[in-house]
Amino acid sequence: MSLGVNDRPDPGLPASEPPPAPLKARGRVLPSPISGQELVLIAVIAVLWVILAFATPAFFTAGSIQPLLVSTAPIALVGIGMTIIIITGGIDVSVGAAIMVCSVITAKLLVDQGLSLPLAVLVSVIVGALLGAVNGLLIAYGRVHAIIITFGTANVFLFLGLQIFGSNTVNGIPQTFDFFGRGVAGRTLGIPHAFLITIIIAGIAWWYLRHTAGGRHFYAIGGDAHAARLAGVRVQRRILLAYVITGLLVGLGSCFVIAQGTSTLDQSVGTGKELAVIAAVVIGGTSIMGGRGSVLGTLLGALLVQTVTSGVTQLGWNSQLSDLFVGIFIIIAVGADLIRERARRAT
Amino acid sequence: MAAPSSADEAVATPDSGLARLHLTGISKRFGAVRAIRNADLTVKTGQVHALIGENGAGKSTMIKIISGVESADTGRIEFEGAEVSISSTTEAMALGIATVYQEPQLFAELTVSENIFTGREIRKAGRVDWAAQNEKVVELLELLGLPGKYATVAVGSLSIAEQQQVSIAKALAGNAKVLILDEPSAILTDAEIEVLFTVVRRLTASGVSVIYISHRLDELFRIAQQVTVMRDGQTIGTYDIEDLTVRQMAELMVGGILSDDRPERVVPDGEPALVLSGLTRKGKFHNVDVQVKRGEIVGLYGLVGSGVSEIAACIYGMDRATSGQILLNGEPISPRSPQDAQKLGIALLPANRKLEGMFSFQSIAFNISAGHLKLLSRFGVFMDRAREKTVAQDMIKRLAVKTPHERQAIGAMSGGNAQKVVLARQLVERPEVLVLAEPTQGVDVGAKEEIHRIITELAESGSAVLVVTSDLPEALRISDRLQVVRGGTTTVEFGPEATQVDVLAAAAGAVDEKGHAA
Amino acid sequence: MSATVTDNAPAQDPKPKAGPAAESLGSRLLRALLTQRIVLLSVLIVVVVVVFFIMDSGGYLTAPYDTDYMSSSLINAVPLVMLGLAELLVILSGRGGIDLSVGAIVSLAGMVFGFAYGQWGWPLWFAIILTAAFGGLCGALNGFLVAYIGFPALIATLATYYAFKSLAIVINSQRPISTPPIQELFSITRSVELPVIGGQLPNVPLGIFTFLIPTVVVVWLLLARTTYGRRLYATGTNDVAAKWSGLPVRDTRFKAYVYAGVISGLVAVVTVGQFASARPDAGVSGSGMALPAITIAVLGGVAITGGIGRVAGVVLATLLIVWLNAGILLAFIGNEGSQYQLLALGSVLIFAALLNGITNRRYGGSR
Repeated sequence: MSLGVNDRPDPGLPASEPPPAPLKARGRVLPSPISGQELVLIAVIAVLWVILAFATPAFFTAGSIQPLLVSTAPIALVGIGMTIIIITGGIDVSVGAAIMVCSVITAKLLVDQGLSLPLAVLVSVIVGALLGAVNGLLIAYGRVHAIIITFGTANVFLFLGLQIFGSNTVNGIPQTFDFFGRGVAGRTLGIPHAFLITIIIAGIAWWYLRHTAGGRHFYAIGGDAHAARLAGVRVQRRILLAYVITGLLVGLGSCFVIAQGTSTLDQSVGTGKELAVIAAVVIGGTSIMGGRGSVLGTLLGALLVQTVTSGVTQLGWNSQLSDLFVGIFIIIAVGADLIRERARRAT
Repeated sequence: MAAPSSADEAVATPDSGLARLHLTGISKRFGAVRAIRNADLTVKTGQVHALIGENGAGKSTMIKIISGVESADTGRIEFEGAEVSISSTTEAMALGIATVYQEPQLFAELTVSENIFTGREIRKAGRVDWAAQNEKVVELLELLGLPGKYATVAVGSLSIAEQQQVSIAKALAGNAKVLILDEPSAILTDAEIEVLFTVVRRLTASGVSVIYISHRLDELFRIAQQVTVMRDGQTIGTYDIEDLTVRQMAELMVGGILSDDRPERVVPDGEPALVLSGLTRKGKFHNVDVQVKRGEIVGLYGLVGSGVSEIAACIYGMDRATSGQILLNGEPISPRSPQDAQKLGIALLPANRKLEGMFSFQSIAFNISAGHLKLLSRFGVFMDRAREKTVAQDMIKRLAVKTPHERQAIGAMSGGNAQKVVLARQLVERPEVLVLAEPTQGVDVGAKEEIHRIITELAESGSAVLVVTSDLPEALRISDRLQVVRGGTTTVEFGPEATQVDVLAAAAGAVDEKGHAA
Repeated sequence: MSATVTDNAPAQDPKPKAGPAAESLGSRLLRALLTQRIVLLSVLIVVVVVVFFIMDSGGYLTAPYDTDYMSSSLINAVPLVMLGLAELLVILSGRGGIDLSVGAIVSLAGMVFGFAYGQWGWPLWFAIILTAAFGGLCGALNGFLVAYIGFPALIATLATYYAFKSLAIVINSQRPISTPPIQELFSITRSVELPVIGGQLPNVPLGIFTFLIPTVVVVWLLLARTTYGRRLYATGTNDVAAKWSGLPVRDTRFKAYVYAGVISGLVAVVTVGQFASARPDAGVSGSGMALPAITIAVLGGVAITGGIGRVAGVVLATLLIVWLNAGILLAFIGNEGSQYQLLALGSVLIFAALLNGITNRRYGGSR
């Protein structure tokens, strides 16, 4: 028996709403899978690509789109983990240093032990997970602000990485990782493997965040960690998991980085990557305050940043200008988000 | 009508067999303060049991004990006949005790469905079974009178009233056997209250027990079967609701003692210093008319949700009225910020000391001077610390703040002392108009007396004082005139001869044309 | 009316677990050590210096760790303290205040200085004032985004970090400015003998007197003695209460970022002098200057949530790190030393942060 809902003035619904029939839960059960911010990003990227295609005929060729996708991959991949971290209200500025550690260990093993690709990837991923666990434990159980802890671990990881480097570079890295690289071996049907793998993992993450209890709990923690705990969410374990996942992705991403490099690995690998990843996440619409965000946005954010970088190079402009554009895009993206939030709260 | 008098004559509690929740001899202390003494409460299956009492009578502590937030020092709790100890919220929830607070603890970005099921999601093969979850949610929503399509709407986009209903749904989803509603009608419109009552009736029909806390005594007749009155930490008695009138309930809450020791005060004549005329802020309050003369203390008494604190914020420039006027000494003003208000000579003591008044780990001197930096400085730039120190010490003496020196951090002080410090901030420069919001909330008796003394002194020195409070004895004790604010507007006005019972009844809505309790 | 019994959860704040009267001397000392950051830092400085003196006399170091060395290593303290103070101001303002762009401002302002002094031939003082003002302008952009628009500080300063960094490199097409006037500036980094007592004491880098001490004094005055300082602490402690008290919250926050920018501008001048060249990547090479600055501030006792922090803490934290780093440099051969400095910086930061966490729980906060 339904209530006389018609009798009640309901400010929430438009006036013409008929009394709801018993609702079968079919069709969309969650809010739209794609947000306004992401649609705008797709539009912006499309526009940029069109402009670049006209400005430099070379842009819209496989020869330039493929490297673009390959370069996007590591940032987007790590960005998936960073998205989860930021959704829970945390942050991780140590991923750049972590990439360095994973890269140098893996590269050395490739050179010295001649490991096969699967084994090398496994090692890299495990190392990354360990580093992530360090962060996760300190943040989840130490009750200290994530930004400070990860500033600290960034330095410690840098130290580790430099120690492992020993001399300045690692030379003679074999072709093992070509599967992830820019060359012909790195593609199937024209699509770079690195990019494909990233898309697949992003898809899994997207599904996990939307359709599992654990995934939704990340959002709950970011929304109100205290209320989440009261509701029975295992807050500390979830936070630890977020950093470990990121660590795993850092490990895999480091393999991509090695693949995209030369046979020489430099000590500067990973420098500044954490900022690029955070920029991608933020441009993608994930709120730094936590509780809201999606990996699709991060993918698009990473693609946008890479498009800008690549475009600037192709247009023959000073490559440093790409940083300027990234900064401007961050302002625009977050600013738009702020305005939307404010408008939503005012109603 | 039965004239209730003491706890001994309370309606006998039924057999424990019918009682779902049975508390006896409950006591609880917080430090030196005894919040509850030897209280009893019995809630039957399928019953709506109202719990009433003045602020500070012990209701919230009782609820906290039942819901596991606090543990009783003494006493016995029986749940469905068996003795239990409720030492955590998880244990309470496991028993089936659910509480819906005034502040909904929801995740704004998640959907209603997710909010209700966070922590106990329905799963199917590893993933959340949205269909099953949503079906249940739609059932619950329809039970509560919300449209089923809300299941997939983000909670943050719902109105506060709707969010409250989602909180109730959340409590119900856990198969609650005892549902505690803490002042649910405070933020609801009349129509929404009707819906709430229908829901409550349905719940009790299916056997859920509801503990209903409210200040709106007239409502209780429509929804409750029994009412327990608390006063000064004790349960005075439990009565069948049809045996009481609003006036009798008020008398029980108050203890039949009229306001006393009001010192004779002569209010000087003259034009009012502060006039609110037809003041309206869309959605918050409307047609508010208040006048305060110099040297006069006017009280505004209103319960939560009455709009009374928003009126105070408006006078102080924290919010802007949509229509109506504020006149200061005859001149219309429209302060757009607290800075504007202060320049005009209006000061305000905020209602929520911790959130809005205190700079917790700073010193007393810092707290006092925070609003007067220009005054206590040279050229407006360099702090005149000697002067600051003198002012602080003067204030400490004047307000009898218990502290060794002005450098002590305010965070470690008792509520009463801290409140005096925040009050001192408003008094450094004698304000034309002083608005005090909940001036003695969480303050011990001694400090309360002293704060009242200071307020009276201030009025005598020529300021116009407006006291906005939900503490009725205080409102009566200190005001020359008392206006009741209800439903967003000023209603009945009482003079010095008013009784607590009258005012309480007026605030609850049961008054006749003469303003006497029905 | 009988006594009103307070009903809600105790309005009294929970008393600190260790009541002072009942404490032994030992636990009182421990409490002072943990809650008074100044005390802890001083103790650690002494420990570090003593350890290195011992290592020196035991012959473990590659060069003497003596007061001369300690004094000359202070040249590194100059930019570090100043940027640490810049971060102090910004973090004090509350609501997640932080500035990731200070290093980029240093680079960009450094280029401006290079143009003004090295190419356009401006007098030194004018050039310095211009550079500081330009830094303030950069800070104003940060302040505007954070205080008036409402950007989270992390995001806004991340964006301006990118923007300023790239502008610094682009405006002179990636070339540094090393004209003769700039090169002569190197003399400002020399060490001087102190007047009168100089014979006894080691020589002190000039930068300490020309830049570090004035900045420390000015910031200290600002925070401890001016009305602005009060407004800043109030805003950082509780910006809602600050608003109710009639304080201009947005304006106060905005100014914090401006002042941080001005200080960064001054650091730019120091850096140009140190390198004898205006380098476009001055503040952003390696992991940049922002990270050490934030580390210093946190180590110095600044609360990341705002409202807590003192100049003395920042100064002592810098001394600790500088002398620790100086010793590490001597304890290892070649590049190893600079790597161990990273380890030291990182571990010290984590240790300080965990300490903050513990003292907050056990003692209800620190100062």
